Amino acid sequence: MSALRIALAQGTLLADTRVALAAAGLATDVLSEGGRRLVLPIGDVEYVLARPSDVPTHVAHGAADIGIVGKDVLLETDADVLELVDLGYGRCRFVVAAPTGSVDRSLDEYRHLGSLEVATKYPRVAHRHFQLRGMQVEIIKLNGSVELAPQVGLADWIVDLVSTGRTLAENRLSIVEEIATCTARLIANRVSYARDRERIAALASTLEAWAGAR
Amino acid sequence: MNGAVPRGFRDILPTEARELHAIERTLMSAFAGYGYVPLEPPTVEFAERAVTVDERRTVRFLDRDGRLLAMRPDVTTAVARVVAQRYREAEATLRLAYFTPIFREEASMRGSEREYDQAGVELIGDATLRADAEVIALLGDALARCGPLAADIDIGHVGYLDGFLAALPADVAAAAGAAARSGDLVGTVSLARAGGMGVDRVGALERGLRHRSADLGAARSGAPRRSQDALDTLDALRPLLEAAGVGGAIRFDLGYIPALPYYTGVVFQVTVAGLGFPIATGGRYDGLLAKFGADRPATGFGIAIPHLHQALVSAGWRTPAESPLLVLLPGGGDGATTLRVARSLRGSGIAVAIGDVAEAAGQDVRRARVVDEGHLEYEGAVRAIEAVIAALAAAPR
Repeated sequence: MSALRIALAQGTLLADTRVALAAAGLATDVLSEGGRRLVLPIGDVEYVLARPSDVPTHVAHGAADIGIVGKDVLLETDADVLELVDLGYGRCRFVVAAPTGSVDRSLDEYRHLGSLEVATKYPRVAHRHFQLRGMQVEIIKLNGSVELAPQVGLADWIVDLVSTGRTLAENRLSIVEEIATCTARLIANRVSYARDRERIAALASTLEAWAGAR
Repeated sequence: MNGAVPRGFRDILPTEARELHAIERTLMSAFAGYGYVPLEPPTVEFAERAVTVDERRTVRFLDRDGRLLAMRPDVTTAVARVVAQRYREAEATLRLAYFTPIFREEASMRGSEREYDQAGVELIGDATLRADAEVIALLGDALARCGPLAADIDIGHVGYLDGFLAALPADVAAAAGAAARSGDLVGTVSLARAGGMGVDRVGALERGLRHRSADLGAARSGAPRRSQDALDTLDALRPLLEAAGVGGAIRFDLGYIPALPYYTGVVFQVTVAGLGFPIATGGRYDGLLAKFGADRPATGFGIAIPHLHQALVSAGWRTPAESPLLVLLPGGGDGATTLRVARSLRGSGIAVAIGDVAEAAGQDVRRARVVDEGHLEYEGAVRAIEAVIAALAAAPR
């Protein structure tokens, strides 16, 4: 049987992901070496380290059998993968935020002008949310420091991912609305899940029990 | 003109085109062997008919009458229309087969094609399990005839999940079903829990969605009545599949939930190792034809030809050999001799090209020079035409 290839999101999730995989009985030593190699075989698994937003693509195309990535990334990339387990860690929220004390004024403006400008790194999530609300907004895609946008007059509101909310507070922004709570997910390629069911389902059950016990 | 083609479309060059034609001949002859007759629907249909595919994924345009048209996103839709219009009164079973390009709109930069060939069959007017067994057996048979594929057919039933969701409030059940079809099994389970499903039943559902085995026993405990019915159906299907000659282990996968919403019963997919996409999918869709005004039970499957082709090539498959192509190099003279020699060779069943060929498309090419009406210089010696014909006919295939 060939090695089970697991795509892992580099960055903030990786530390908890190592703990989860170790709890599921997988060797994770190779993940802690801090090296530059991105394909790390060990035993009967092979880890692939990728940018979080690329993990769903790897799995959707079958380049990796399974992966661990945040629900936030899944919502934004909309890749065709199976979501098997909510791992519970990496908790963060998609929120709509506005300059503190200005929500009423911007809603006034919205009634007056019929549209608001919303800056975000997550255009798909933002678009879908406001479409569901029936609100007309102009989405402005930024690649970083979204919280800056209202201060410099680039946008009225922002849609961003927050974990503690400190960045929002420091930039005098308040939450208008929560869109979704996101946690890390175990995902699988549809064909890999069919063909390698025993290994993947066993891992899913173990990880689910681990997440439930935390 | 910069010579490019629109995103998602591509040239199929001769070598691949020959391979695809070989696959088409094999599949259509396998389909014919079960009594399926070819249907060739038009390339465009009115866009409002495309009910089987998400409308954002159809390639659409306005014609000069101001009607919105869609490039055929699948064949099932066209078949449903044809049946409703032309076979409305037919009582007997209709068996239709196709091999044709379909068109899907894809987000850019996904590495996806917007045009690709799909082959398949639709069996209309037979609600029995025997019909389900027939199309699954035909699919296995047709793929086996293409070449040495280590393909697995996994069989599921949409009624298994539906049985669990039936006890939930209708809107929750719909959302949980949609989540499952999109692949979000976490969402399905959490919606079910939030909708009031008991702990034991949620546990049974989670176990069921992970169940892939020849035996269905373990999936029964804790499953509601309607889900048990779906399992009974699958158990009854097993001996029919064996009788129909479905090779290899028959494996049931209750976690296989097709993305399309119109399936109503037994569903299946074919996968091979090393390819991240299924080669073929299919199942029973009893409610669909009623939307076109012909309420008839139906089942069928579609084979994604690019995936089948990729799997065959990875398995070492090559186009079934034909007799070699003879390239005839003209001798001296006015060309009339060469043309006459070529004609007489073709009359004996030899494929002949005069001059030289820039694209052999993977064919076995032999060369001969015309000496006179009765003789060719072939493999270093002057030989009588009859001797060359005999040598070519005996060429290893």
